[in-house]
This record gives sequence, structure tokens and C-alpha cells, in this order.
Amino acid sequence: MSNLSKLFGGGSTIDPRKEGLPLFGMWGGSSDMNTQMQFRVFDSNFRVTSSPWAAVSSTTTNYRFGILADGSHAYNMKDHGTDFHSNLTTESYSSWTNWIKSLYQVDQYPHCFYYTASRDGFVTWQSYHQMTSSFEYQVGWTKLNMVLPEGIRPRRTFTNRRFTMREFMGNSDCNTDFYDYSSHLLNTDQAYATGTGYNEKQKMLVMVHSGDESANTSKTIHIFRSSVCLNEGTKRIKDFFDNLISTEYFTDTWTNQCVKDWVVVVGNNGYVGFGLKQSNSKRYGVFDCNVKGTGVAITGASRQWTTWHDFAGSTTTSYGANSGHQYYTKFQTTWDGTWGMIYSPYYYYGVGINAYCMSLENPRKFININQTKSGRANPYIAWGRTGFHGGWSDNCDSEVWQTYAFAFDPKDSDHTIQTRVYKGSTSGDGAMPDNNSLVGGDFDNRTGVCSLDAMRTGLHGGTETTNYPMLMGINWWGNYGAADQSYGGK
Amino acid sequence: MAIYYFTNAGEPCTPFEVTGEDLMKKGMAIKATVPDGIESWRLSYDTSAKAVVVYAEGQDEAGALAQKQTDADAQAVKDKEKSDADTAASEAE
Repeated sequence: MSNLSKLFGGGSTIDPRKEGLPLFGMWGGSSDMNTQMQFRVFDSNFRVTSSPWAAVSSTTTNYRFGILADGSHAYNMKDHGTDFHSNLTTESYSSWTNWIKSLYQVDQYPHCFYYTASRDGFVTWQSYHQMTSSFEYQVGWTKLNMVLPEGIRPRRTFTNRRFTMREFMGNSDCNTDFYDYSSHLLNTDQAYATGTGYNEKQKMLVMVHSGDESANTSKTIHIFRSSVCLNEGTKRIKDFFDNLISTEYFTDTWTNQCVKDWVVVVGNNGYVGFGLKQSNSKRYGVFDCNVKGTGVAITGASRQWTTWHDFAGSTTTSYGANSGHQYYTKFQTTWDGTWGMIYSPYYYYGVGINAYCMSLENPRKFININQTKSGRANPYIAWGRTGFHGGWSDNCDSEVWQTYAFAFDPKDSDHTIQTRVYKGSTSGDGAMPDNNSLVGGDFDNRTGVCSLDAMRTGLHGGTETTNYPMLMGINWWGNYGAADQSYGGK
Repeated sequence: MAIYYFTNAGEPCTPFEVTGEDLMKKGMAIKATVPDGIESWRLSYDTSAKAVVVYAEGQDEAGALAQKQTDADAQAVKDKEKSDADTAASEAE
């Protein structure tokens, strides 16, 4: 136990949760998925890190990629499907076979919805047949939105529902901790926890309670600060609440089509961003959750910074948790933990992206992110130190793979100035132009819209014929790259 | 008819004037008039012809989605044929 305490504590010991710059998996296959397939793992510099593996088969019955004994549960091609590049406009059970490319696939938590993929390059599909009974499908929306230090993704999975927090272990459905915190609440008018965020630096937990788990607009927001870190390895949920140093709340009425969509982003400066998908658009509001004193500032109006902001980019038919709890609005952070992203698909069930990106130092600084694809989805994941990429999976036959990548300035947290976004191009001269112009743009706070551009990577999809590569999250890459030039600095 | 702003690549960007005009000033958007009642995923701007293009023009949303599925199915057939031909060629080498 003392070793654990040292590992998760401070001092000079490197936090064992810390990973090197993000890795990603890339699945390449021929159009019918029966003849050729390949999986590789790359670092943020697009250098391969794993032993690429492949399989060749000429029959639909051989679906085990037997070279590496992939632990697939599937038994016929209906599971893995023949149409990974579906247009994602339907949500029938059978169409779930297409959704491994959906934007819903990955969020800030290391585990993915339909598969696990190790840094060694092994990908394992989850069985679709029990997916509708799984934790992620039914109650993934109860997970806490985590603001964590550099290089760290959530390694403990805490959930919040009603007046109870629980802990789970990744993809397992078994509880490992339980705590009814109702005795710490100052107001219990609303009994359904529907959005919770935690800031590790501030040891600050902010939770939204609604009048139901549907579309009730009544809200009570509690703000807890503790002297104990919720993520500390030797501590239990109860320890966080037993060591509270302040508890405040405010009430308000918030428009929401489904309360399961709420994302709570607790900034380092005590301002908290609340965002969700609302109809085809999104909403984002910021509230001052710094300590005000007992019984002070207990209305939303007394804490809200400016007003609610509707998404300023292009929208079309798209779905959130009101169409199924599994479509809840997602949250991710950059690797260095300086920028966050509240996002959902632009198009129907998982194509393109509509997002707010906000400074995690100061959630009042935010812009709108847009990518208006209507086919060939791919999820988005953290990339490099302060960016994200993903979203592109068009045919890589005689073409290199592209991504919609973008990056921020990690020191940029002033909401009174424009936000700079760095982008790329589909040509080298576009990415490194023969002029002194910024490749990217500066966007107004709140109303600015950054539309993402595709850019080439230099990677081929994996086969010499029709293929639609898939970007995949990696469960754990540890300190890979931390000891070489891939880390990105000294 | 309504105003819509497109990216320089011709993709839908925003219907909002404040945002769109700011992007125009920065050279990051194109302003165009689009027909009412068309979902934005069906809209694009042809930068060569300098004209708005409506996917599956004349169709309603359901019709456009059906057309999209038809196009995707046709593409899948082409993909399969190309893949099979490439595989056969590879095996013959």
C-alpha cells in the first residue's frame, strides 16, 4: 500500500498514469473485409510503433485473423459486416455493425465502445450481441468528465446517478465502490444526477441534478471542494466527501432536450462550462463556481458569465441522448490537459463533428469547431501535445490517408482575445507555404467557427486496393515515446 | 431563399451572419444564397462555377437519404469489383 501511495502521490515520482504523446490505431481493409486486412499503431508523429500484422483469407468463414489469434467473439460476417463505411443514417440493431467508425466510438476514457486495442497492436472486438446491455451503451452518460494533469487519461471510472457515486473498472460491469452522498447535499429538490465534472488540480467536483432523467429543466448544481483527491489510488469516494472544505449550490432552469447529454467542464480557475447537444445544435454556458460563501449566490443568474451560447457552425439532422442514451454528448481533452472538447456528430448517427473547444484553464475561452462530412466517418481522438485529429476515412486506394487535425496554443487562456487554431493542408506547399501567413486561423471567442480541413499524413491505408481506413483509440501506451524524440521536447 | 456561408473548400460553415461576416473579412468563407428547406449536408459551393450545389435536388430529405444509400451501394459494388480485380492481378504476378 505504501508503494501505491507513493505512486499516486506527489513528490518526485512520475505519476504512473502518465502516458507519452498519444498513439492511435489504424485499421485498413479491402472493401469486402474478406481478403485483406491490416492493423498498425502509430505515434503522434505518424511513425509506426507496433509490429504491423495482417491477414489474408479468401472465405467469409475465416474471420479470426488467425495469425495473431485475435480474440473475436463473432461467428459470422454479419457481426463485422461488409460495410464499415456506412453512411450512418439508421439506428437499427443490424446497423450497429457499422458504427465502429462512428464519432460516438471513443471519448476521453481509454476504453472504446466496440473494441479494445493495445499499444502492441492487438485489436479485439467486443461482441455486438450483448452491446445493448453493456455499461457504456446504457449508462456511459453517468461517467464523470475529468480535467486531469498532462499526459493522463481517466484511469479510475467514477459514475454518478441519483445521489450515488460508484466506481467501475473500465469495461467491467462490476462495482468496486459505492457512496451515497445525499447527506452532503444542501438542496435535494432535484433527485437525478445528470452531468458531473471533476478537476483534479482543484480537487473540485461539480454535479448537476435534474428533476428526471429525461428533459426536465429544473436544475440544482452542487460544487464540492475537498482536501482529498478523488483519483488518489488509496482513497475511496467516501474519503473525498469526508474531507470537504467547501460545499455550495445554486439552482436554475436550463433548456435541455435530454439531461443525459450534459457535459460538465470544471476549469482550473473555478469557472465551469456546461454544454450539451440540443436538437441539431448545441448549447454552452459558463458559471462562476468559485467559493462565494454559504447561502450566497444560490441562483444561476448570480453566477452565470454572459449568456447561453448556441452552436455557431453549420448543423443538420443529428442525434443525441434523446434518441438513445448511447448517443450522449462526448467529452475529450488534449494530451496536455490544456484544452477540452464537448462534441457530437454533425450528421445523423456519427459523421462529421460539431464541437465547442474550451480552455481548461479558463472555460470562458471557447470557440466552435465544425466538420460537415455526411459520409465516411471516423472518431476523433487526442493528437500531439495540444490537439485532436480524426474524422476522415475515404478510400485510400492510390491515395494516402488524411485526417482533420487541429491544434491549440497550450498557454492561450485569455477569453478577451481571439483563439488561434493551427491546421494543415492536403499539399506540402499548403502546409508550409511560400509566404508568411498562418496556416490556420484566429477565431472570435464564443462566435468564431473553425471549419476543419483535411490534410495528408503520408500513410497508406494498408492494402493496395480499395480500403477505407479506420482510426482507433488505444487503451494504454504507457510512457512509450517518453524516452525518445516522439515525446516532443526535452 | 436564405444566406449561407461556406468554407473556401465549398463545405457548409455557418448560417449565422455575425460569424459568417467575420470569416468573410478574414478570407475564410464564401457567402451564397441557398434554397429554403434544404438540410445543410446536401449543400455545397462549387468554387469553379461559383454556384451552390444541392445534392439530390428536387428530392425531400427522405428522398435524398435514399439517393445517398443508392450511391453508397453502387460505390460498394465498384469497390468490390476493383478489389477483386486487384487481388486477381496480384495473384497472377
